[in-house]
Amino acid sequence: METWIFLSQIFQIFIAFCLFTTLYGKGNPLRSFAEYSYLAAGTAMSVMWAWNYIRDHAIIGLQAGEWIWIPAIILGLMMWFRIHPKYSYISRMPIAFTIGIGMGWTIRTNIFTQFITQISATIVPLFDQGAMWLFERTVIAVGIITMMSFFIYTTEIKGPHLWSATFGEYFMYLAFGAVFAGTFMGRLGLFVGHMQSYMFPVWKQPYTLGIAILVFVVMLWLDRSGLGEKLSA
Amino acid sequence: MGKEDFNLLKWMATYDKRWTYLLLFILVLLPMIYPIGMPISVSELTKEYYEQLETLEEGDIVLDSWSTEYSGYMELKPGMISSHKYFIKNGIKLFICLGHPEGLALVQALLDEELKSYMEKYDYTYGEDYIILGTALPNQAATLAMATDFQGSVKVDWKGDSIQGTFLDRIETGADIDMISDYTTGAGNPGLINHIVLTFGTPMIQNQIGVSLPGSLANKDAGLITGLLASTRGGSELELLVNEPGPGLIAMDAFTLGHYLLIIFIVIGNIGYFGWAKRVSEERERTTIR
Amino acid sequence: MSWFFKSKQVNLAILVASFMMGFVPYFLEVPQVYGFANTLTMVSAVVGQFAIVIAIYSQYRRSLRFISERRKGWVYNIYLLVLMSVMILMGFLVGEHHASYMWLVNSIVAPCSSVVYGILAFYMFSAGARAFRARSLKAALLIIAGITVLLYQAPLTGAYFPGISPYAVFLTEKVGMSLNRMFSIAIITGAIMLNVRMLTGRELAFMGFVGEEGS
Repeated sequence: METWIFLSQIFQIFIAFCLFTTLYGKGNPLRSFAEYSYLAAGTAMSVMWAWNYIRDHAIIGLQAGEWIWIPAIILGLMMWFRIHPKYSYISRMPIAFTIGIGMGWTIRTNIFTQFITQISATIVPLFDQGAMWLFERTVIAVGIITMMSFFIYTTEIKGPHLWSATFGEYFMYLAFGAVFAGTFMGRLGLFVGHMQSYMFPVWKQPYTLGIAILVFVVMLWLDRSGLGEKLSA
Repeated sequence: MGKEDFNLLKWMATYDKRWTYLLLFILVLLPMIYPIGMPISVSELTKEYYEQLETLEEGDIVLDSWSTEYSGYMELKPGMISSHKYFIKNGIKLFICLGHPEGLALVQALLDEELKSYMEKYDYTYGEDYIILGTALPNQAATLAMATDFQGSVKVDWKGDSIQGTFLDRIETGADIDMISDYTTGAGNPGLINHIVLTFGTPMIQNQIGVSLPGSLANKDAGLITGLLASTRGGSELELLVNEPGPGLIAMDAFTLGHYLLIIFIVIGNIGYFGWAKRVSEERERTTIR
Repeated sequence: MSWFFKSKQVNLAILVASFMMGFVPYFLEVPQVYGFANTLTMVSAVVGQFAIVIAIYSQYRRSLRFISERRKGWVYNIYLLVLMSVMILMGFLVGEHHASYMWLVNSIVAPCSSVVYGILAFYMFSAGARAFRARSLKAALLIIAGITVLLYQAPLTGAYFPGISPYAVFLTEKVGMSLNRMFSIAIITGAIMLNVRMLTGRELAFMGFVGEEGS
């Protein structure tokens, strides 16, 4: 295997376990090194992402004679005045333009997907497909309405509204339990998948275990000697 | 004064949580070194996803949207690998759109490492069978532009080479896309649903992480998504259905142990609470009132 | 000339006009208008990408301040600036598909990104183990639902005790989904209200008009 690829694999394992030392609960230089590396590299990647987007559309478009990109670039440069203490008001126009366009097509699409479609999917014929369908759709409809009634704060909650809000609150707790379990499954799956990438192929296993033990021992030593907090960021 | 005797109930209420971190680490790593091979069942959700895959025919064009960062890939990997193996085996054409800057790392991880030999086996080649458009769908605006005027908004692939003369010449608008295959860690790219699914009725399947599953379930219930694969578990079930065992099935041992460990510690915590912590707190209140 | 850029009315007019250009064409079905609206959406996407420079400037400024004031961890800020500058230069000079750039991306961004989210598994584990106490009926419902779905999600349970599936699937696909649907409807309602306030000039803080609501 190429040396650089091998070194990359080893460095990946090392920096991952450095970041895992966050779980110890105390600062240490290994964790700080990993954090700042990630911040630097991630920011640089975002810069290249933005530049590629501008190049692929505005620059190439201009070269093809599409003059609409000239005001685009001017507006983009005006956005930079946001950081100027005296002329920051120049950035208001590109912000207004960008947010206005974004609001326009977000609202006209999300009204359908997040609002109308969701409501119409809730209010469906109940008696079409048997007892189980009736039960499930009733639970969904009643659950959504009662949970929403729990969040109405503009009137005093009493009488039927109180019953509805109370039922909605209990329904929500049931739902949160299920959602928590789903969330834990997701995160555990992510962690397991991550560890798999360091344990397979099998040749990686001794390196992973060795680096894990090494980082753990160094972290403990740094903590016991008092250097951990001193040398961290 | 003598050393306090060990109180099991007190320990159950007050143990140092870092020991549970270490235990979880060990229980995840151990089955990878010594696999147990626990059986798994296949859920209805995964079966429906697989049925959607089976509706595709050879030569159909699929918009392959990777709206996930590298961390999400770790969770979606089994589903992504088995879905793409299905596409490759059945000659489905793909155009891959990256929705996140970390997508570059994904291309190498999935295509150059995991699927390379599989693609060679089925003679699945770049330009003929799949094209990577790069960051073509970073936001809704770009998705809208692609959906309404594909040829006008997309001219080059991720390396700047022209896409003219490829299978993408067949696409004018979103109506010409046979299916959307979305791998996402959040709301994904809402533009896919807003501007392609709703406008052209294009079927969409989604591989979603556990955190965002309830939102995608709502979309599936509303008919916006036709197939949904749930996290690593769904991916491992799909590996069974497409008959391509992979990282998902290997992960299920650790998956099972991790879940059981959490349940055990929830029970331990409640025993400690009712057996010690609640009693101590009530005694403290009584003492304060006096 | 500065009055033109500072004017609340001018900026509000731009906001409303661009909103209309994004909103109205969807309902008109006139190809030329629709095409122009699409072009404007691409323009706005390009304009938005320029904002990354502000982020970079802020990061440089913050780090240089830390370094000059010798605050705790100032050495790490030097490292950050050097690494960030090197990677940006590499991206421009050799391109992001070059082996050296990809080496840094694969070696740093990929593993750290995975850890940042993977570490949440431990925090969720700790939160669940320490906070799930059946102190009341509501808390007990939370725990029962959580344990039922956790048991189902463990693949072994589904294989040997399939009887748990209907209950867990009901909790996830009906009850949990209802919660999310409720939040979707509520959030989009709030978003529409906020957008109306922005378009009517009552909420312009995002443009820098602080303390001028309604005036």
